[in-house]
Amino acid sequence: MNAPHIHLLLNHFPTVGFSIGLGLFLVALFAKSGELKRASLVIFFMTAALTITTYVSGSDAQEAMKDSPGVSASLIAAHESAALVAFAFMQATGFFSWLGLWIFRRVSRVPNWNVAVVLILAVVTFGLMARAANIGGEILHPEIQSNRTNPAVQAEVEAEQPLAKSWGGFVENHSWVWPTAETLHFIGLSMLFGVVLTVDLRMLGIGKNLLSFAALYQLLPLGMLGFTVNLATGMVFFVATPQQYTGFLFFLKMMLVVVGAVNVLYFMLLEEPWTVGEGHDASITTKLVAASAIIIWIAVLFCGHMLPFYGNSF
Amino acid sequence: MDFLLKIQQSGFCQWIRESESIFSYSGILLLHTIGMGFVVGINACIDLRILGFAPALRLKGMEKFLPVLWLGFWVNAITGAMLLAIDIVNKLANADFYVKMAFIALAIINLRMLKSHVFGDPSIDKIPASGKAKILAVTSLMFWIGAITSGRLLAYVGPGSGAK
Repeated sequence: MNAPHIHLLLNHFPTVGFSIGLGLFLVALFAKSGELKRASLVIFFMTAALTITTYVSGSDAQEAMKDSPGVSASLIAAHESAALVAFAFMQATGFFSWLGLWIFRRVSRVPNWNVAVVLILAVVTFGLMARAANIGGEILHPEIQSNRTNPAVQAEVEAEQPLAKSWGGFVENHSWVWPTAETLHFIGLSMLFGVVLTVDLRMLGIGKNLLSFAALYQLLPLGMLGFTVNLATGMVFFVATPQQYTGFLFFLKMMLVVVGAVNVLYFMLLEEPWTVGEGHDASITTKLVAASAIIIWIAVLFCGHMLPFYGNSF
Repeated sequence: MDFLLKIQQSGFCQWIRESESIFSYSGILLLHTIGMGFVVGINACIDLRILGFAPALRLKGMEKFLPVLWLGFWVNAITGAMLLAIDIVNKLANADFYVKMAFIALAIINLRMLKSHVFGDPSIDKIPASGKAKILAVTSLMFWIGAITSGRLLAYVGPGSGAK
């Protein structure tokens, strides 16, 4: 399996997977079913996480394909820019879906404002993602290249400075951007680590007589905020210099982030951790999931840190 | 100066700088970053709790994480000493290095004050927290942000920046 193959495979999550989520969400709204809403929020959240791997695998695919006959560099650039906008909305959908899930656990319903925000974001994301997929499909599917006469696609392809490229130029010309984003990346990392350590070390037994899971659960949005800061600053790096983030180590880091997303869902959806009160020992399963959370996030840090040493970064 | 050069050119420091091993430069810097996450992360959770975030969380329980914080601190003191030793001539001539050390010293003094004023207080979990506790929580966050920022800038400003 080569890089373009992986990218094609992962493309199904933000398109097909997300459509299923949106369909289910609409059914849930009409049926007024809290559980179905919850299920669609889970799909949105996981799709958003998987879309990170989809987006970054595009850079490897481009690297592998750029010299192939019939592949147009400007079409790839147009696809990259369309994907970037769709990606941003996808992540916003994922963030608010997560928040909805977080609230659901506490009050057993998703508040109306959250439903409205997720619905609007999901519909916009759906449209943007379809556009990105449409342009992407034309890169190597001659049978549908008639679409190239589509004026919207034409305008995108012929843009003087595609969005992703102009962002790269901005970062290059402003020397403060990189160290600022790095510093914020470290601050976000610390926030995420603080929450991961306190929640998961408690599940493993530290401070168990004074801390219930329900109380620690209130900290989770802080960890999510730290993660979001790091996703945003990480994209600053990636979009500016995607050639630095090709190869196995970076892809592994992104896959580990997806595993981290699954891990946090355990704490947000299952009854087992939720019932751990003050003085209670967590179950063996909960302890294992808690220990793996600490390992996963340290491994994410490890992969990122080692990029200049063992990856393709400078 | 001669003495500093001797440290920097010792076999151990040369090995850290030049070895490809994961236990040399890359691994030491990795531990330094993980340690940062432990120290700043746990301290920030305590600070934000004092400021009213996650009100159901009992501060008395958060105190139990202080040993974990100190573990991170000592890991960073040791790895930090190594990272200083391998580039000591440049670092000691870099104003930013002293800024970072000052921020860390202030943050640690701040933590000790938090320990006596907040964790030593029997009405610790009263909401809202006392004005003094809140001020200490804000200064703690500021000092750690200052330490992280000046630490990151060591790679960008002053003599030897950019070199490992």
